[in-house]
Parts: sequence; C-alpha cells; structure tokens
Amino acid sequence: MGHDHDDGKGGCPHGVSRRGFFTAVGAGAIGAATLGRAQAPAAAPAASAGEPTKVTLHVNGRAHTILAEPRWTLLFVLREQLGLTGTKVGCERGECGACTVLLDGVPRYACMTLAFEAVGREITTLEGLMVGEQLGPVQQAFLAEDAYQCGYCTPGQIMAAEGLLRTNAEPSLAQIRTGMSGNLCRCGAYAHIFKAVKRGSELKKAGR
Amino acid sequence: MKTPELYFINEAVPDTALPQVKPEPWAATRVVGTAQPRVDGYERMSGTAVYPSDLVLPDMLHAAVLRCPHAHARVRRVDASAAAGMPGVRSVITGDAAAADLRWNYGRNVFTKLFDPHCRFEGEAVAAVAAETPQQAWDALRAISVDYEVLPFVVDERRALDVGAPALHEGGNRVGDVERYERGDVTKGFAAADKVVELEFRTAAEIHTPMELHGCVARWDGPRLTIWESTQGVYPVQQRVAGVLEMPLANVRVIGSYMGGGFGSKLQADKYNIVAAVLARLTARPVKLFLTREETFLCVGNRPPANMRLKAGARKDGTLTALEMTCTGTGGAYPAGGTSLVDWLVRDLYACPNVHTELTDVYINGGPSRPFRAPGHPQGAWALEQTIDALADAIGMDAIELRLKNVPTVSQTREGRPPYTTTGLTRCLTEGAKAFGWRDAKRHPKGDGPVKRGVGAAACLWVAGSGGPPSTVIVKLFADGSANLNMGASDIGTGTKTVMAMVVAEELGVALDKIQIENADTATTEYATASGGSKTVPTESPAVRDAALAVKRQLFDLAADELKVPASELAIDGEDVVSKKDQKVRKKIAELAGFRRRGVLVGVGTRGPNPENKVVNPFAAQFCEVEVDTRTGEVRVLRFLSAHDSGRVMNPLTFESQVIGGVTMGIGLALTEQRVFDRQTGKVVNRNWHDYKIPTAMDVPADITSLPVAPPDDEANTTGTKGLGEPVTIPTAAAVANAVHDAIGIRVTESPISPMRLVALLTEKRAGR
Amino acid sequence: MLPNFNYVRPSSLADAVRQLSTPNARVHAGGTDLLGCLRDGVFAADTLVSLSAIEELRGIRPSLDGGLAIGAMTTLSEVAADPRVADRYPVLSRAVAAAASPQLRNQGTIGGNICQRPRCWYYRADFHCARKGGEKCYAAEGENQFHCIFGGEVCFYVHPSDVAPALVALEALVRISGPAGARSVSAETFFVPPSKDYTRETVLGPGEIVTEVVLPAQPRGTRGSYRKVRARGAWDFALAGAAVVATLTDGRVTRARIVLSGVAPIPWRVPAAERVLVGQRLSAKSAARAAATAVEGAQPLAQNAYKVEMLRGAVEEALAALL
Repeated sequence: MGHDHDDGKGGCPHGVSRRGFFTAVGAGAIGAATLGRAQAPAAAPAASAGEPTKVTLHVNGRAHTILAEPRWTLLFVLREQLGLTGTKVGCERGECGACTVLLDGVPRYACMTLAFEAVGREITTLEGLMVGEQLGPVQQAFLAEDAYQCGYCTPGQIMAAEGLLRTNAEPSLAQIRTGMSGNLCRCGAYAHIFKAVKRGSELKKAGR
Repeated sequence: MKTPELYFINEAVPDTALPQVKPEPWAATRVVGTAQPRVDGYERMSGTAVYPSDLVLPDMLHAAVLRCPHAHARVRRVDASAAAGMPGVRSVITGDAAAADLRWNYGRNVFTKLFDPHCRFEGEAVAAVAAETPQQAWDALRAISVDYEVLPFVVDERRALDVGAPALHEGGNRVGDVERYERGDVTKGFAAADKVVELEFRTAAEIHTPMELHGCVARWDGPRLTIWESTQGVYPVQQRVAGVLEMPLANVRVIGSYMGGGFGSKLQADKYNIVAAVLARLTARPVKLFLTREETFLCVGNRPPANMRLKAGARKDGTLTALEMTCTGTGGAYPAGGTSLVDWLVRDLYACPNVHTELTDVYINGGPSRPFRAPGHPQGAWALEQTIDALADAIGMDAIELRLKNVPTVSQTREGRPPYTTTGLTRCLTEGAKAFGWRDAKRHPKGDGPVKRGVGAAACLWVAGSGGPPSTVIVKLFADGSANLNMGASDIGTGTKTVMAMVVAEELGVALDKIQIENADTATTEYATASGGSKTVPTESPAVRDAALAVKRQLFDLAADELKVPASELAIDGEDVVSKKDQKVRKKIAELAGFRRRGVLVGVGTRGPNPENKVVNPFAAQFCEVEVDTRTGEVRVLRFLSAHDSGRVMNPLTFESQVIGGVTMGIGLALTEQRVFDRQTGKVVNRNWHDYKIPTAMDVPADITSLPVAPPDDEANTTGTKGLGEPVTIPTAAAVANAVHDAIGIRVTESPISPMRLVALLTEKRAGR
Repeated sequence: MLPNFNYVRPSSLADAVRQLSTPNARVHAGGTDLLGCLRDGVFAADTLVSLSAIEELRGIRPSLDGGLAIGAMTTLSEVAADPRVADRYPVLSRAVAAAASPQLRNQGTIGGNICQRPRCWYYRADFHCARKGGEKCYAAEGENQFHCIFGGEVCFYVHPSDVAPALVALEALVRISGPAGARSVSAETFFVPPSKDYTRETVLGPGEIVTEVVLPAQPRGTRGSYRKVRARGAWDFALAGAAVVATLTDGRVTRARIVLSGVAPIPWRVPAAERVLVGQRLSAKSAARAAATAVEGAQPLAQNAYKVEMLRGAVEEALAALL
C-alpha cells in the first residue's frame, strides 16, 4: 500500500469488499501520495521503452508519484497501479466509454490516453465524485432513475454526464443525447440515462 | 426437443424439496409493486462494487490466449521457445504441454483437446501465456510462432451443404437431421385460404458484446480452486470446470457476485476458465485472464444467422389457415443450436390448425453460437410478424385486428395442447394499441417531403419464462429485525437482488436497507440455475417467499407464547408482530425475548413445481413510429410502446429498465448489427465496436413506454410472476420493419435495415425494378 | 495491448522536428488514431514524439488576411466551440461536430484528424494488404460496402475525416514544419490519392509535422453546410457526405465548392457539380441538378453501389441547408 485516500480513514477502501473479494493495489507504485494540485505544464519524462520511469499524476485532488512505462495507459495505471477500479475496461480502443475520466474537467477515454500524457493534468475518476461516503449528485441521479442495469458502463456514463454538466448546466434533451453519445450501454439504459442527466442537472443546481 | 423452460441447461440439476406450504397469493402488497431503486445501487454508483475484471489478488499473474487467425487450419507446429524466455513470462502452454492434455466438450458428443490442432474457426485457442503484466503476456504471445496448414473454409451457411463445400466434421456439415414439425395439413390449409403470402427473410448474426469482457481470476489453495468469474450462473461454471479437470465439485468454488452483462453469452464455462486454472496451477500463483474486446467477437458466442422462408394463408375474415416455415441456420463450427427455437412463434403464437416447419442446422467455420436473449425468437418474429403484416395487407385488414383474430388459449405445440395460465396477448394488443394511438397513427399522413413517417407493431410470446424448480434460498432474520438473504442466483443487471429483497421486506416487514444479500457463490450460497431465459424472478421469488414464510412461522410461534395469541392469528405490521384480531396486542419483533435468546431465525425456502397440465408463458406486443429519409436511407425510431403480460410487476422501475433495454437491443438487430465474414479468407472483419455497430444514445428514442397490462398470474407460482427479459426484445426488430414498410412501402426482409440496404432498395423501387 | 515504445515530449517545435528524425519515430498528437494503430499492429513505432507540451501549436487566432489560424494541436471540441468558427465557417463547425464521439473530439486534434490513417477494416486488421506492402487490396474483391466509389486504384479505402472535406471546401491552407523548414500547401493538395502513391495519405515527408490550419476570409454572402450519412447515429464514419460552401451575390451563386466525404480515398472535390451552381439561383431544383452531377463518373465496387444514390441525397440535403 502506498496511498492515502481523501477520506482520511485508515486502511484501504479496496481491501475487502462486502462480497468477499480481495484486492491489493499498488504493485508497481512507489512513494506516498501527497495532497496537491497539478501544475501545468509539467515536464513529462523522456522515457525508454519498457523502462519504469517516475511520474506524478494528480488524481482526485491528490498527487501520486509512481513508476510507469511509456506504453502504460492512464486506464491501466488508475486500475492496476492506483486501485481505482471505478474506471472500467470495456474495449481498450476508444470505442465504448466505460473508461471515461475527466482531464482538467473534460471527459476523455483513459484507455486512449497514455499515462504520461496525463502528467500535469487534473484527473477525476468516479471515486472523485464522491462526497466522503455520500454519492455525488450525478451518482444519486443515476441511482434514482435506474439509469443502468449491469452497471458496468455506468461509471463512464456518470463521468460523461458530469463533464457535460460542467460545461452546460442545463442541457436540452438533444444536448444530453449528443453529450452522452460517446458511451455505449449494451443493456440499453439510454432512455433512463437521459432522465438521469436531467435529474443530475437539477440536483447540482440545488447544491446536493 | 429439450424442455423449453430450461432450454440452456446442459448439466444435471438437483431436485429440490417441495415447499412446506402453499401460501395464498398476495392480496395487497406494501413493498412489492412499488418503484424501488436497486439495493446494490450504492456499490454500482460509487465504484466500490468489485466486478471480476476489477479483482486484483496479491502476487497475481496476467494471462493471454493465442488464437488461430484462420477460419480453418491445422496447427503443424508451435514454437514458443522465444516467448518462454521473455521478461516477466512465467509460463507458456501449448497443445504439447502435458498440463494442457484435457478434453473439451463442444456440445453433443463432440470433444476436442484444450488446444486442438484442428482449428475450425478463427479465434480457436492455440496456446497461452502467463506473465507479470498483461503487456508482457501480449509481448510473449506475439513472439510465439505457429506453423499452420491453412484449410479450405465455408463461412456462409447458405453454401455449407453445397457439393464441394469443405466439411468441418467427419460426416459433413449437417448438424443432425432436419428438425421437422407438423400439425394438420398445410396443403389443405393453403387451399382453404383466400390469400396466401410467401416471403423470404434473413437475420444477420449478432454478437452479444456485454460491456464487461469475458474472463476470470483463478487461484489454487492446495487441491482447491477458486474462480472469480463474470458469469450468469456460478453453478454451471463449477460443474464444467470440475468435469474437465476431474475434480470434486466441492473443490471448485466459483464466485460471481457482480457481473457486467451477459445476454446469454455467460451462461456457461469457457476454455479460458481451464486455461487460467492450468496456468495458475503451473505457476503456483493466481492468474487473471480476461479476453480482449476483439476476442469476444470471435469465440464467446453469437446469435446465429437465420435464413427463413415463410408462407402464410388466411381467409378474408382473418382466420389463419396454414403456416409453413423452412429455416437454414448455423451454430458455427460445433453443435450449438443454430436453428434452435426459430420456428417456435410460427408454431405457437397464433391459433392455426395447419403448421409445418423444417429447420436445417449446418456447420460453418465460425465461432460457436450461444443462447442470445430469447434464442430463435427475434429471428422467428422478424419473419412471422412481417408476414402477418403482409397478410393483413393482402386481405385488407388492420394488422392488429388480424392478430386479435388468432389469439390462442392453448399451447398448440405441446403435447395435449395444454392451456396457458394466462394469455395476455389480447390485452397487450388492444391496450397497447389504444395507449399508442394506433388508429390515429395509422391515418397520420406519411409526409410530402423526402422524409416519411410510419408506424408498425409486432407481438410475441416467449417459450420459457415460467421459471421452475430447482432453487433453494435461505433467509436469516436477526434478533434486531434485520435480515440476510442467501441465494445462488446471479443478478445480471435485471435487478434480481432488489426484487428478492422486496419479497423479504414484504413478508417480514424488514426495511430494504436492513437486508444484506449474499449471492452467486458455489461455496456459500444455495443451488440456483443460471440467470437467463427470463426465468430468474419467477424461479427465485417464490423460493425467497417460501424461505421468508418459514422464518415467519418460527417468529409467530415465538410471539404466540409471549403475546398469548395463537400463531395463526398473528401478522406483521411494520416492525411489530400484531394480533389480527386486536391491533393493540402487539410487540416489536426486536423485543421478543424468545427471539433475542435464539439470536437468529433461519428459513430455508424452495421453488415448488409449476402448475400441472398448464403452460406459463409471457406475452407482449410492441408499437413504434419511425421516420425514413428516402434520399439517404436513414431510419430514425421516434417512439416505442411495449405492452406486456409478464404477470405481477414486482418493481415498476426495474421492469421499465428491462423494457427500454430490450427495445434498445432490438433496435440494434433491426437497424445496425451484423457480423461480417471476409469471403476471401473467412475471417471476421468487424471485430470491434466501431465496425460492429451497437446502438448509441443517438439511435434510440427517449420516448419508450412500458405498459404492463396483465394482473398477477396466481396460477403460475406463489408470487404471480412471469419472465420479462426476453419478451422485451423479441418483437422489436419486426415492429421497426413493419413501421418502415408503412412509411415507404418497402418490406425489408433482411436485417439490418441499414442505410446501405435501404437506399439500395429505394433506388430499385424508384427504377421500378 | 500496446507494444513497447520510447516516449518523448519536447516543449518546442524545433525540438520535436529534431526528435522525429530518430529511427521510426511517430508523432503523437491526440493519440486517438495512433494508439489504435499501434494496438492493432498496423504499424510499429520505436519512439512516440508527443506534441502536447508545445504551446505554440495550440489555439485559434485571427490570421493576417482576416481569416483564422487554428493550431494543429487544437482539439476538435475547441474548434466546435469557437464562436468565430461557428459564425464564419459553419461548414467546419458542423463537420467537426459530426466527427467521432464527444470524448474523442475532446482528445483528437485538427492536425491529427487530417493525418488519420485509413479506417479500412482490412488495413486495420491482420491482413497484409497493398498499403502495408502486401500483394493486393483485400477490399477490391472482398467486403467493400464501406469502400470508395471515386478515385480507387490499387487501394480502395475512403478518407475517414469529416474535417478534411470542410477544409478543402474552405480553401484552407495547411502549414507544415520539418527538417527543411516550414512550408504551406493547400488543403486540396495535402491529401495523396492512391493513383499517385498508395502507401501514403498525405504529402508529409519524413520528420514533417502539421503545425497549423489556416482558414482564409470568406467573401460576404458565403454560406456553408456539412451533411453526413452514417450507419449509426454517433461514433461512425461517413458512408457518404458532402461539405458545401457557396457565395451568393444578389441571390445568385458566384462561387461554390462541393467536397465529398466517405466516397473516395481523399476529400473528393466535384468541380463539375460546382459549375452547375455558379450563375444560378440556389433552389431545390439547382441543388438536385448539382447533386446529380456530383455522382457522375462514380465507379462502385461489388457491394457499394448504394453509395451513388445516398451521395446524391447527401449533396442535395447539404445544398438544401444553404437555402
């Protein structure tokens, strides 16, 4: 374990889940995370193929210094190095949106973003939308509208919705559709997702 | 044929005991029937739910599978020497490895080796690697060189029986005999018809592509193996893995508490389970093996393509006189039910005395099929429901009227023509049409410009959807009134856990947030069949109710002593036990002294049998409106209404989610989805989500109405429920096709109705061809 | 899984050009196309030279002649959101909005977009096709429903970009820097048809980088539109499309540019169709005649004859949007 988490509680929130899964994180990580904001533009490393190179990523308001290889995607680092498995793997080729995160507040596919390219940027994942133990407004909206089924694309949908609402606080249905058109849902929850984005907009406005 | 109700279960299933009592149907409900967000919503929204693909174990290796790049080939030699020495590589196994000398059953009696030299489809497993990182595993795969003898192939099922077509198996490309069904005399039936229509149809192969990739994590503890699997059913996976590895069932534990979608493709174990277990054994380390997205297009199932000819006759008054269907299909390179249930709707959806069907299943050099949301049915509906529309046109009758003329009350195919417990078809059609505004919509002008509007409808039943035994669940009530529910079933995204918690809440008065659920773990949860076939709610909810009632009986026995009221006169009211005769005689459950001493009450529940000599099937009718750009061939679906007889609506919120999900998937079949083989090499050319197009947020209407029309089916089971997950998608594509026909007068008989196909048909029509 | 590569992120253009001279180095702009190609093994790279730290390649500014200069590393979303682009170059803002998905538009750059590699499903998969140095184009006799009806020769892919036809329609200029210094070419001559060289898609030489796209000022009375027909409502390339720009004076067309997408290996300009419009009033009738002319000479492959009529419809609708 090499990581603090924002909630400041002891232990790792990914240690033992209530379903009996075990996870361990940080196999390739070094150093402790520190609070801090990303400083742009940060000098990204010149790195050799296969060579672990020290980089600092700013995730959900914390700086994580890790050893990473040039070919590691942000998706791989978030999940396998930082244990932030809220960001999902769907295709690893920019065709589904399950790995959507915010970079400087803007939705991006973490699978098509090299970790090195995220250096110096503010990275926000699903975990970063939590308010302590409470779901954030968009998360609440998705839950209330049942805007998901298997739930696997949902983190990416929520991040896309969050990104949309940050640039357009009150999107029309047409704008919601377009804004959510970079996220596949094979269970087909789109009609409820549209409602959830609308509700998310209202909850955000109400400051929930 | 197999018992339709359990169509996808191949292994032995245990008998479970009969429930001890048969409770009265619920008269009024307090929790059941109300809209409830999911009990596991927090986990899924916060990201704390650990799906199998999220799992990271200490010291875990990552594995990858080398797959045959040819449609048909024989492996002459595999050279993995370079791969074995690469950085991070801990194990490489090929067909030569002793550890890989295992037999894999591809259905019926067809066995191959785990890494069989005869690769009958692109994507067949050839070798595998375990390494410290996934990147290293893939580096190693790229360094394995394989000498293939490339063999002639056939990937078009319409050509598989041609003279000179390469044979996949000894004995040729026929999968068993032609499957024939006959009742009455179709020749006489057609002779008695005033109008006969005959059309040819084709539906393209579809790929399931659930969002979570197929895969698992495997770990050994001495002789015991644990597999965390993204699955619809932990028990079928356990049985298959134990069988292949010749291990005691008890020593194979499969855990699948969360899973990211399956649609039928995750009802069974796969070779990758065995590969992961073997690599974990060889390296003495946990191994994670998840397929790539591209692999999932090749080797973990598909909805088979169907080539159908349908002939239908009716009298002027709308009475159906005869139906005849032939179908050629393929389950791919191995026996996999390539034509399974394609003719079921033709046989059973409408009352018709004379029916003849013939199904021909052939082998092609393609990945084996797997059940895909209502196997056979959407294909059959595509043909039948378009033909019924054409027949209605031919006799000058409204298409809904024609359907209403022929609503059956018995299952005509099943032996003894047993009656349905309920046939909601009439209500689905009439109430659906009314709510949709069918009459007005039909009269609505098509439009003067190049963009035309049209409406269409289609109906269905689903062959299964009754659920049934076996199932065992356990409900534990703790002394503070909170509860634990233990069941083997997976929640595949339909809200199973939520609905089951609602049953517990209904019977025991426990608040939903005080119910903890354990599910889908062969070691710690009770036996359940896989979640599929629209049978999970009707299978599990009566068992849960039975378990909750067992707890309730014990609770009332304890309370009877303390309240001095006979147990039979007690009821639960909120958190209290109360006398039915005197509401003032009550006590908090948590304050019953006897209960506090006992600490916990345990109730075991089972699923009782379905009613004898009756059939429990769900019915549905869907209505939609589309817009067609006649210049470019683009189709926009404007709205959908889906009317259902699925018995009791347990949770209207998740019920509606099923409806919009099924419609969305059906729109994929109708408009965008098709697997494409390269005719020169037999390789699949669209093996990603760009080239294989599933609907996006831009392709579906926001306006999808869920309309449950039927009351609880109290004859069916003790919760009055029938299946829903399949009927929601069966008629969708046909309804879209009928709407397109209404808009532009072109009947598109081949799926998908892509702009490519439609613009070609529009051009032909304009040219008067 | 991505294979191995070295990675550098220079902070100046000069340094980037220098780094690109190392063996088998490739430019990483937004990365959306590059990483896919590397993952699929379409080509390999020893070194990725990331342009993301070069500030001078970013942003939209007025150009000296009253037009706009768009830095190559400006994302498609930034282009779409720019009010000057929307106001003066609607054909471009519509084309940009029709591209890919929101996330890809947030990541993909205008420079990268016009340097995309072919999206042919043979080229992108494990087929050793002509463009990759193999013997034949698999699409010629194979699954060619998404391939070209104009300009195919040896290789029959269609240019994947929505942005490129808009740039050609606007008579944009592409600025390039390389080992030999800077140069500019018109968007129209930037793309290389297979008849000239079927192994490359642009005129970029070794070590050259697109640095800027310059949109010239448009005469008063200029209108523009983009119509894209696709098999799916989002996240899909054009089956057929048209970028159209027309200048109207006193109700008559004085200048017209019609550039097709989804039907040729390069953005396909149809001067004959443009000539049909010039001197005419813009009407449903003249649009239909221009559209009919636009599809003349199409040479469909076995499975894409549908494109002819679809294209006619797309051109007609694109022109109708100017009315």
